[in-house]
Amino acid sequence: MKGYDYYKPDTIEEAMKMMSTLDGAEYIAGGTDVMVLIKKKALSPQNLISLRNISELSYIDTDNGLRIGSGVTHSRISESDFIKRHYSALFDAVSNIGSVQVRNVGTVGGNICNAAPSADTLCPFLVFDAVVLIAGQKGEYQLAIDDFLLGPNRVALAKGEIVKGINLPALGANSGSAYIKHTRRKAMELPIVGIAARIDIDAKGHPNDWKEAFRRIDDISDMLRLLEKERFVCNDARIAMGVVAPRPIRAKKAESALQGKVISEGLLDEIGRIAASESQPRDTLRGEAWYRREMVHVLTKRAVLMALERMIHADSSNNPKTS
Amino acid sequence: MEDFLYVGKDVPRTAEINKVTGRAVYIDELKRPGMLYGKILYSRYAHARIKSINTEKAKKLPGVKAVITGYDIPDVRVGFMEDQTVLKRDVVRQYRDEVAAVAATSREIAEEALDLIEVEYEELPAIFDPVEAMKPGAPLIHELDGHGRPVKSNVLPLRWTLNVGDVEKARRESAYVVKDSLTTPWINQCCLGTSGCVAEFDSVNNLTFYSQTNVIFGAKQRISRYFAKIGLKDKKIRVINPIVAGSFGTKLDTDIYEFICIQLALKTRRPVKIQFTREEEFRTLPPRQTTRFEIEQGCDKNGMLTFRKAEAILDNGAYTSWGATTPSVMMMPISSLYRVPNVYFNAVCVYTNNIYSQAMRGYGNPQASFAVEVSMDHLAEEAGIDAAEFRMKNRNRPGEVTPMGLKITTCPLDRCITTVKEKIGWDQKRGKKNGRGVGMASLIHVAGGARVYLSDGTGIRIKVDENGHVDVLSGSTDQGQGSQTVLAQIIAETIGFRPEDINIIFGDTALGLWDAGTHASRHTFIAGNAAIRAGEKVKRQILELAVEYVPKLLKSDFRKQKKKDPDFHEPELDFTLIDNPEKLDIKDRMIFAKKAPENPNFRIDVARVLNRALNVGNGESKTVMAEVFWDPPTQMLNSEMKGNWSCTYAFGTTGAEVEVDTETGEVKILKLVAAHDVGRAMNPTLVKGQIYGAAYIGVGFALTEKLQVVEGRVMNPNLRDYKVLTALDDIPVEAVIVEDPDPMGPYGAKGIGEPGLVPTAPAIANAIYDAIGIRFTDLPITPEKVLAAIRAKKQENQQRDA
Ligand SMILES: Cc1cc2nc3c(=O)[nH]c(=O)nc-3n(C[C@H](O)[C@H](O)[C@H](O)COP(=O)(O)OP(=O)(O)OC[C@H]3O[C@@H](n4cnc5c(N)ncnc54)[C@H](O)[C@@H]3O)c2cc1C
Repeated sequence: MKGYDYYKPDTIEEAMKMMSTLDGAEYIAGGTDVMVLIKKKALSPQNLISLRNISELSYIDTDNGLRIGSGVTHSRISESDFIKRHYSALFDAVSNIGSVQVRNVGTVGGNICNAAPSADTLCPFLVFDAVVLIAGQKGEYQLAIDDFLLGPNRVALAKGEIVKGINLPALGANSGSAYIKHTRRKAMELPIVGIAARIDIDAKGHPNDWKEAFRRIDDISDMLRLLEKERFVCNDARIAMGVVAPRPIRAKKAESALQGKVISEGLLDEIGRIAASESQPRDTLRGEAWYRREMVHVLTKRAVLMALERMIHADSSNNPKTS
Repeated sequence: MEDFLYVGKDVPRTAEINKVTGRAVYIDELKRPGMLYGKILYSRYAHARIKSINTEKAKKLPGVKAVITGYDIPDVRVGFMEDQTVLKRDVVRQYRDEVAAVAATSREIAEEALDLIEVEYEELPAIFDPVEAMKPGAPLIHELDGHGRPVKSNVLPLRWTLNVGDVEKARRESAYVVKDSLTTPWINQCCLGTSGCVAEFDSVNNLTFYSQTNVIFGAKQRISRYFAKIGLKDKKIRVINPIVAGSFGTKLDTDIYEFICIQLALKTRRPVKIQFTREEEFRTLPPRQTTRFEIEQGCDKNGMLTFRKAEAILDNGAYTSWGATTPSVMMMPISSLYRVPNVYFNAVCVYTNNIYSQAMRGYGNPQASFAVEVSMDHLAEEAGIDAAEFRMKNRNRPGEVTPMGLKITTCPLDRCITTVKEKIGWDQKRGKKNGRGVGMASLIHVAGGARVYLSDGTGIRIKVDENGHVDVLSGSTDQGQGSQTVLAQIIAETIGFRPEDINIIFGDTALGLWDAGTHASRHTFIAGNAAIRAGEKVKRQILELAVEYVPKLLKSDFRKQKKKDPDFHEPELDFTLIDNPEKLDIKDRMIFAKKAPENPNFRIDVARVLNRALNVGNGESKTVMAEVFWDPPTQMLNSEMKGNWSCTYAFGTTGAEVEVDTETGEVKILKLVAAHDVGRAMNPTLVKGQIYGAAYIGVGFALTEKLQVVEGRVMNPNLRDYKVLTALDDIPVEAVIVEDPDPMGPYGAKGIGEPGLVPTAPAIANAIYDAIGIRFTDLPITPEKVLAAIRAKKQENQQRDA
C-alpha cells in the first residue's frame, strides 16, 4: 500500500475543482469499498478527496416521496421509521449490510457508485424507480437508476462528477415492498442472490377500511384466498434481482405477468419461474448457477408475499417486523 | 458435596480486564527497539521447479535491510518428519511454499519489496487427490525422505492400525450391518488474532523468541535442534508467549514463518517481527485436513454392537506437521465410543500438492465421531431401534477397559443421553419426517492429559511474598481460555488465599519448569494437579512459620498495646492450640486455630507472619516457595496402538433440533443441547464458555465452513467467503454441565476444551435425517447439497411410483 494525500473539502464545488486539478485523485465517502481496493492494490490513488465534510450530501427528505443525500450512511437510513414503514425494501437492504461498523461509515452514494453486482441497495432502488441526482461540470442532472448502472462496478458518471443524492418517487396508498438477501450467515455477507419486490394493489371500489379484514388473518394462504374472492388486482409491480447478472436487473417479464392480476399461489409460482428464466447467474465459488436460479424462483414468490403483508400492515407501528 | 470457597464458583476473569480495555500486549502490539518487519514471498505454483530468483531490485529499495532466499541460508530440514526446508530452493510443492523473505523498516516497505523479487518457475505436474496420489506409479511429491533415503510412495510411513478381536467373524454373525462413506473438508482454525512472532538475538547470538506457541518447551527444543544444524549449537533460547489470541491447533508446531523470522533477525542483527494478514492466515496456516472415512459396523438382534471397522484417508498436503498424528485420536471414538468388542481401524496420510495440514480443536475426533455417530444412527434405523435407546444400550460404563486399552474411570454418559433426550423433546419430536427433526451424537475424549510425548508432565512454582501476594510461575500457556482464573481458583482453594491474591505467569521458558504444552484439553487437569501439590507444600511452609512466629507476633503486639494503654491486660491464651502446623489452617489469607477458629487473637494475616519470618535480622530469614513437577501415571500408546494414555476420559452428548427449508435447502438450528461430563466444573461460566464456543465451531463444521482449495490454491482466503459463524448467527445453545467428580482430577475436574465441538456435526446431520429422511455424509451440509438431495429424492420417488 503506497501513501496518498487526503483532502476534505466542504462543498461539492470545491471537491470537483480539486478533482480537476489533483493528479490520480479519487473520491472517498465512507471508504468501505475504496480502502479495500487500495489494500488489495487494485487502486493506488495519489490523492483521496473525502466527501464526508460536505453537508449538502447528508440530507434525508421525506416530503412527497423520498430524497436521500449520497453521503447518508446505511445506519442513518435504517434508523428512519418513515423509510422502514414506507420504503421497506430499502430498510431491509441497509439494515443487513456488512456489520454495524460498516453501516456506520458506509454510504448509499458509495454503494451505488461502486455498483457491485451484489450491492444491496441497488435492487430496492430499482423497484422504487429511483432517480440519481448528479452534479456535473455543466450543472445538475438526473438519471434513472436503471440507466445509471452500466455493469459490474461501472456506472454512468463522467470523471469528476459527484452523485448528490437519490430521489424516490412517492408511493401509492396501497403499496408494499421487501428485499430478501439470501446468505449463509447473518452478518458480514454478500448476497448469493438478492430479490426486491414492490407491489401496488388497486383498492378502487372497496371500502376505506378494506385492510381490516386482511389484518385479522394470520395464514398467508387464507389472505390470498380473500384477495382472490374480493378481486383485488395488482396494478403495479416491480421485481429486481441481484447477483444473477453483471449488474442488478429488473425481471420485467415477471413484472408484466403480475400487472393487472390477482395474486394467487399459482401466479406467484409462475412469476418466480419467469423471473428465474430472466436471470443469468453464473457458477462461482460463492454459489452455483442452478441454485441461484432456483433461489430467484423461490425468493421472488416470498418477496412478493412479504410486500403484500407489509402493504396490509402498513400503518401498524412494528411494520415491518425486525428480527 | 464438599463445600468449596472458590472451586466451582463463577469467579470473574479479572486477568482479562486488560484485553477488554485494549491494554493487553498481543503480538500485534509487541514492539522491540529497532525492530524490523518481515514478509514472506510464497510460490505461484502448486508444483514447480525454481529456475531463478532475482532479489537485486528488492535489495535496493530504501528501507529494506535483508532479502533472503533458500540459497542464502543453510539448506537444512525442519518439521515433524523433516520433510521440508525453511526457504525452498529447487522445487516448490504447494502454493504456500516460502521462496524468499524480506526484512524492512516498515511493513509497507517489506510488502513493496516482495513485489520486486523476480522468480522464474517451470511448472511441474501436480497431484491433488489423495486417492490418486496413493496409486502405484503416481508422481512422487518427495523423492527423498528426511534422512535422504529414496521415497517409494506418497503414503506417509506412519502406521495407524488398531486391530482388536475378529471383525470378519463378528460381521458374519451380526444381525444388522451398515456401511457408510463420509468426507470432511479443510477447516481453517480462524483464531481471532493472526499468527506472528518476534525474534531477537543478543550480541552473542542467544535468542529471545516471542511466539504464540502453546508448547513453549517443544518450540524451544525444535529451535534448538535447528540451531545445532546451522552452527548455533548451545546458544541459549528463551521462548516467551505474548498474550495469545487463539490457537486451536495452529500453534502446536513451530511454523516455517517462525524459522524465517529467526533467519531474518540473525541476518540483520535486529529484532524482526512477522505478523500475518488475515489473507496469509488463510493461505499459509496449516488447516484441519480433509478426511475420507469408510465405516462399517454391526449389531446383534438385540441391538448390541458387534464390530466396527473404519478406514480413513487423510490429505496430508505437501509436508508433514502434527496433523499426521490425528489418527491416534480418531482411534478413540472408533474403538471406544460405546461398547464394541471387535474393532479394526486403519488410517493413511497421503502427500499431495495441496496446502499441508495440521490439527485443529478435537484433533481428528470431530471427523471420526462424525463417521461413527452418523453410522450409529444408520444402524439403529436398520435394526429398528430408537437411536437414543440404541446408544443407551451400548453406552460406556465406569470401570471398563476399552479395546484400545483406555481405562474408563467415571462415565456419566447415561446422564448425558437422558438429559439431551429430555431437553430436546426427543420422544415427542423424533421420527416425524415433516421438515423438522431431532438428532443426537455423543463423544469420548481424553480429559486427563494425553501422553503423546514421553513426558506428559508440567512444572509449577509458587512463591508467596511478605505482602501475602502469590506469584505462580507455570510452565504452561494460556490461549485465551481463562487458565489464569481457573488456576488461581485452584491455588486459592488449596492454600486458603483469595483468587485476587494470586498472580499467574504463563508462557516463559526461562521462568517456568517444563510442560508438555496446552493441548489435548489437558491444562486444567494437569496444571491443576501440579498446582494442588505445590499449593499444599506452600501451605505447609506457611503454617510452619506461623507456629514459630504467631506467638512472637502476639507477644510483641501485647507489649506495644501495653505501652499505649497501661490498663491493658494481656489475655490468657492457650498457645498449645497453635503449637503444630496440623492445628492451624488458612482461610481468606487469615491463619486461624482449627480448634478456636473464632478466637480473634489467633486470626492473623499470612502477610504479617511472612514479613516477620523474612525480617528477622539474624541470618535466619525465610521465604515461602515451593515447586512441583507432576507427570501423570499414564502410558504411551504401544506399537499395537493400545495404552491408557490419559488419566480419565470425558463423555458428552449433543442433541440438535433442526428445521429444513425444503425450498431453499437451508437448515435452521432451533435448539442445540450440549450435555457434557466435566468431572467437576471449576468455574461454570468458563466451562459453558468452552462449550458454547466449541458448539459454534461445530455448527460451522456441520453447515458452513470449508476452505475451498482448488488445485492446491485457497480460493476463499478471507472472512467474507470463509463462512465461520458470527455473533449474529444466534445458535440457541444450551450448555448442560454434568458433574461426576473424577478421583484423579484436581478437585474432580476433567478437561473440556475440545469436547463441545466433537458431537455437534453428527448430531445436526442426524437431525436433518430425522427431518427429511436424507442422510448427509459430506460436510459442510450446504443449502445447495440439501436442495439437490431433496430433488433427487423426489425424482427417485416419482420414478418408483411411475
Ligand atoms: C466488511 C465489509 C462488508 C460489506 N458488506 C456489504 C454488504 O453486505 N452489502 C453491500 O452492498 N456492500 C457491502 N460492503 C461494501 C460497502 O460497504 C458498500 O458498498 C458501501 O455502501 C460503500 O460506501 P462507502 O461510503 O464506504 O463508499 P466508498 O468506499 O467511499 O466509495 C465507493 C466508490 O464510490 C465512489 N463514491 C462514493 N461516493 C460518491 C459520490 N457521492 N459521488 C461519486 N462517487 C462516489 C468512490 O469514489 C468509490 O469509487 C461491505 C464492505 C466491507 C468492507
